[in-house]
Amino acid sequence: MNDVITFIWAVIILSLIATIVISLYGIARRPNLVKKLIALTIFGDTANLIVVLLGYRLIYPVAPPILPSLSKEALKQFVATAVDPLPQALVITAVVIGMAVNVLIAFAIIQIYRLYGTVDAGELQNKLLGGGEQ
Amino acid sequence: MRKLLPLALILAIIFIGAYLITPKLTPQTDVRPLGKFYLENSYFGDYSAKSPEVVTSILWDYRGVDTLFETSVFFLAIIGSLTLFRLNKKQEKEAKQKTEEFSGGLTLVIKSVTKIIVAMILAVSASIALHGHLTPGGGFQGGSALAVAPLLIIAAYSKYALEEHGLDKTRALILRSIGLLGIALVALVPLLSGGYIMQNQPIFPAEIGGQLVSGSLIYYNFFEFLAVGAGFTAVFLLLAIPESVFRKFLRREAHE
Repeated sequence: MNDVITFIWAVIILSLIATIVISLYGIARRPNLVKKLIALTIFGDTANLIVVLLGYRLIYPVAPPILPSLSKEALKQFVATAVDPLPQALVITAVVIGMAVNVLIAFAIIQIYRLYGTVDAGELQNKLLGGGEQ
Repeated sequence: MRKLLPLALILAIIFIGAYLITPKLTPQTDVRPLGKFYLENSYFGDYSAKSPEVVTSILWDYRGVDTLFETSVFFLAIIGSLTLFRLNKKQEKEAKQKTEEFSGGLTLVIKSVTKIIVAMILAVSASIALHGHLTPGGGFQGGSALAVAPLLIIAAYSKYALEEHGLDKTRALILRSIGLLGIALVALVPLLSGGYIMQNQPIFPAEIGGQLVSGSLIYYNFFEFLAVGAGFTAVFLLLAIPESVFRKFLRREAHE
């Protein structure tokens, strides 16, 4: 039984790493700026998920890091089962800040489209360098 | 079929790789010492933040300065978005006029449902933010939930409906500034009584009228709620300006 759980654990970790590799490919190789942004959001969310995963505990039962009752007796049981709160605290801010930064990038892409009529990185380069010469 | 091939290859690599590394993997069953310190001290302990919610007490107490600077990153990102789409006074007035192709929003059914859901979203987001020191949640999550309400109104009615009822970009920015100012002031209050920046206990009372408010955590959560919610609302209002109006402004600027 324990081996199965460890196997699923390994699958999760490798899937996250694969997602990061694919999203990096998307950021680097896709010419479309909107698709680059989508790949960037996937990259950011996967990174956040990995950070949360760092604080998880493979035990049963496992509890969220919130005191179930305000008594000293419950504290011992709580410390024995609760997951690590520190990665969660770091990710909470990162998610919202990431959203604000994505909005900023999206605004920049919309403005680029309005000014140059394209969101393709290659075409954009041609237009900025004065067209004609390839 | 050819598109499925890379997908199958990736899946196969993941499963074979997982099978190979499983014997070498020791699952993590313990909390790191730092995490354990926070778990033990957040409510009891000598370095208490008087909050049963350990994540919030790390966010606004133990690691408060981190969050303060995260908030300033958020501030800069929103300001950057607003600067990219800046309008002068005349253009702003013109953007509030309804365009000719505006037909009055979606159907009556959707509008009625939106009314109910927006009221529920406002209640839930306020609950998430104000109970942030007791249950999962806090200012960031509550603010993000709050920002969904104007977004729904923009989709179902139009941005003009929001502006006619008094929530325009300037008001949203003022609300956001109140939130950020509140965070800065709450962070500076401990200096008056000889504490350090962002100190929580024992400067702020842990209970007010028998209700656990966890010192400064509830104030931070409330102001962050305002700042995040109103900041995203201002951005959405700018995004909702029709494309044709923006193109008209750009063409006019090119002529001048």
